[in-house]
Amino acid sequence: MSMKHRMTSWIAAACMALPLTGMAVTAEPVMIGLIYPTPVADVGWAKQLDLAREAVEEAYGDRVTTRVVENIPEGPDAGRVMNQLVADGAKFVVLGSFGYMNDGLRLAQRSPDVDFIHASGFRQTENLGTFTARSYEGFYLTGMAAGMVTESNTIGIVAAFAIPEVIAEVNSIALAARKENPDVNIRIVWVNTWFDPAREQEAARALISQGADVVFSLHQDTPSVVNVAQAEGVYVVNTGSDMSAHGPDAVLGSVVTDWNSYFVEAVGKSLDGEFTGYDERGGLASGMVSVAAWNDALTEEQMGRIEEVEAALRSGEVHVFAGPLNDQSGTERVAEGEVLPDPEIFGMDWLVEGLSGSLPQ
Amino acid sequence: MIRLPWIAEPRIGRTGPRALLAPLIAVVTTVAAAVILMSSQGVAPSRAIWQLYIAPLSSLYNLSEVLLKMAPLLIIAQGLAIGFRAKVWNIGAEGQLLLGAIGGSLLPLWFNDSVNPMMLPAMALCGMLFGMGWAALAAFLRTRFNANEILVTLMLNSIALQLLYYLVSGPLRDPYGFNFPQSAPFPPVAMLPSLFGMGRTNVSIIVALLATVAAWIFAERSMTGYKLQVGGVAPDAARYAGFREKRAVWLSLCIGGAAAGLAGVFEVGGPLGQLQRVVSPGYGFAAIIVAFLGGLNAIGILFAAFFMAVIYVGGDMAQASAGVPYAVNTSLQGVLLVSYIAARLFIDYRVRWRRDITQQGVN
Amino acid sequence: MGTTLAFLLSGTLLAATPLLLAAIGELIVERSGILNLSIEGMMALGAVVGFATIMATGSHWLALGAGGTAGVALSVLFAGVVLLALGNQVATGIAVGILGLGLSGLIGKSYEGMTVAPMKRMPIPVLSEIPIIGPGLFNHSLLVYLAPLLAVGLWWMLRSTRIGLVIRAVGESPESAHAIGYSVLMTRFLAIMVGGFMAGLAGAFIATVSATLWSDGLIAGRGWIVVALVVFATWRVDRLVIGAYLFGLATIAELLVQGMGISVPSQLLTSIPYIATIIAISILSMDSRKMRLNSPASLGRTYNSTA
Repeated sequence: MSMKHRMTSWIAAACMALPLTGMAVTAEPVMIGLIYPTPVADVGWAKQLDLAREAVEEAYGDRVTTRVVENIPEGPDAGRVMNQLVADGAKFVVLGSFGYMNDGLRLAQRSPDVDFIHASGFRQTENLGTFTARSYEGFYLTGMAAGMVTESNTIGIVAAFAIPEVIAEVNSIALAARKENPDVNIRIVWVNTWFDPAREQEAARALISQGADVVFSLHQDTPSVVNVAQAEGVYVVNTGSDMSAHGPDAVLGSVVTDWNSYFVEAVGKSLDGEFTGYDERGGLASGMVSVAAWNDALTEEQMGRIEEVEAALRSGEVHVFAGPLNDQSGTERVAEGEVLPDPEIFGMDWLVEGLSGSLPQ
Repeated sequence: MIRLPWIAEPRIGRTGPRALLAPLIAVVTTVAAAVILMSSQGVAPSRAIWQLYIAPLSSLYNLSEVLLKMAPLLIIAQGLAIGFRAKVWNIGAEGQLLLGAIGGSLLPLWFNDSVNPMMLPAMALCGMLFGMGWAALAAFLRTRFNANEILVTLMLNSIALQLLYYLVSGPLRDPYGFNFPQSAPFPPVAMLPSLFGMGRTNVSIIVALLATVAAWIFAERSMTGYKLQVGGVAPDAARYAGFREKRAVWLSLCIGGAAAGLAGVFEVGGPLGQLQRVVSPGYGFAAIIVAFLGGLNAIGILFAAFFMAVIYVGGDMAQASAGVPYAVNTSLQGVLLVSYIAARLFIDYRVRWRRDITQQGVN
Repeated sequence: MGTTLAFLLSGTLLAATPLLLAAIGELIVERSGILNLSIEGMMALGAVVGFATIMATGSHWLALGAGGTAGVALSVLFAGVVLLALGNQVATGIAVGILGLGLSGLIGKSYEGMTVAPMKRMPIPVLSEIPIIGPGLFNHSLLVYLAPLLAVGLWWMLRSTRIGLVIRAVGESPESAHAIGYSVLMTRFLAIMVGGFMAGLAGAFIATVSATLWSDGLIAGRGWIVVALVVFATWRVDRLVIGAYLFGLATIAELLVQGMGISVPSQLLTSIPYIATIIAISILSMDSRKMRLNSPASLGRTYNSTA
């Protein structure tokens, strides 16, 4: 390489570096505010959001700072906290709970220069996007596993509230487990609380006493049900985080939600000034949903079948809610050859045929 | 047998400026506790005090948040204090507030596309009636069956909460709300107009101030208010004066219930804009603190409500800006009231050492 | 079916035990004429201190003791304000309760969502071998058996011992009790300490024995149920025991019925204990003679023990 050539490449490199160093000196880091409904614990909903916050910090380094406000109930105070974050200069705000919707929408309207993303919401604006995980896809896989390992042919489900997200997961478990094992019997207890660990545990024990040897913990934020399953010697599938540390023998698989790449992408767009409110729904394909901590009790052959279905779900070749599908009353909900459209999945208010019990009001 | 080395004699008559001593002691204790607790969380004491007590007043927006928070506390506490002075212990304001929120929500949910400007007054009336009716249950059981109103109103709190849960996840649930346990959003006519366009403050604070004036007139200038108070201090004298205890119970609970119900309407028609599972962050209980902190006096309650609102808002801000856990704030509320009640000893009683009394001899 | 019935029994006992423990304490306090509304806060503080202790030592018994002690610590504050500063009992109870909840959240922050190993069970020989009843009633940790025994002891104490007599006398009329030479102050102080210990113990039981985890909000309103229970029982120990187990039974039965695929109006079920309490106290208060028999007449009234 000639001297001249070296020179030019050096100059080019310097020129390229200049704007970067210039930015690092002059630009203030952009503040990202996050509001969680619960305290950040070892595991759980807030923990997963916080992992994504760390991913954002890692991805953008000095360009961003983050500030977390945790344990903010969905009430009249949530509005003040998010206002405070914006007043303190946050340019990107993560609203970590469905119940922050109205305050969030109002604030987003008033603060056009701030970008927002809102968990589980269904309304988007110019500067407010929403994000939801297709956890039902993960529950389809774990539902298959449950159908494979159950010896009592009874699967129990401890479910928080009968909102569409949870109902879709219940249906997904039922469809998968029954496909693997047509004799399977599914029992559901709605605890009607987002948070009462002692009651969740009582529900799990009740289901186990009724013969369930696999218990699903749908949207319990603490390892309450996992803990019971470990003590009682049954399998458990939980939501949110990998909880196998709390039930090393019991966890059949954890349906993990991973917001990292979505947060990094959304913050990136915001930093570049290209953010517009959009609806992000990720499943197995985007990695937003995955199953961690598969139990060793599953044989290689069984895991092979699960992985086959996982690949098919990822590629879109197979759909969880593909017809023909009937509801409890036998009415056809999805015709042969069709799949349930998204708005109906995220507005689901019916249980699939064969499930007993009605939805709580 | 243990004999305490001091004597506490009840003071008779007006307490005068000494009454200010208790709130002063309470505030100083609370600030001291704030410094200790905040330091334990790694926040410098000066920053802690700034965040909790000064920042909430440092900008127009923050002040508007304080006023927003103050309104329900003030309304409920004024209503409760009337009963407390008559020694009718209504601790069911939380439940009465929830009933008010439910009652106030019915009209905007039934007439969801209404543009009638009478919507808000009608909601307020409906909510007050609901709150009053809930409290009247306790009044009925007390006057008819002699059932202790403390315990009955306490139980009614828990029942009201379950009723709210049932309604928002059933009959009053938003049909287009994806089955989430909350009602449809209210139409614009059902929303309280905001005040001078500053932040979220709305007309509820004006109503709360009017309620304060009304409570002051009722307590200081009206015959019924006077009789109620006498009935509390000296039941025998009241009976002699022809004032029936039953009437005091009914009046106290109905006023308290209506006030709490109104506060409930202002929450759903104000910051919330819909009926949902979480309507009140414990306003009904906090208002009991406010009523006592204000010395059960209409003017005192005004200041107490303001102070409590500052602490609430300061706590939220400290959490958002300095990462101080909200539990610090909760603890400080406890410290504030405990130290205030303890300090009241020196206002309601004349405390003297026994030793000094024996030296003086009996006179 | 057998395991379901066994669970109906064992689940009932497990759910009822912390309620019964705390209610035993509260009953003593109320019988002495003091209304302590800070049970929820005392249980929460007991729960978190118990949990912190077990994390540090691994011992369930130390955890339970520490939880009880935390309850006592908070009780000292409550007693000081109510007995010495002559503060209003309702307001003081609410204030101390709020303080307890705040402190529990603060202490518990670093333990959020953690779990501990369950306590060793003590199956009772022979009895635990009986089908259904054995695993249902006779295979528990020691405190589960101890709670009803404590209740029996309390019943006997209130009825047949001098201490019981003094407590009842003080609760009935502190003025008369003082006149015949009983120390109202000391009696009430000790009663409040016992009440605080039991509430803290109950909280620690939930955190380290039944739920085996800590999370802010773990007590979830059970402290208020305890207050309701004591009133529902109209201050009688036998009804207290029945009430606690009935409540536990209702909780567990609801979950089992749901598991059978029958939907239940769960909000109505949750309200039943409170409605029952209102009815119970109304019926009891109606007859002033009956009311006299068990209810502490001076409940909630400030008594100046220096005068």
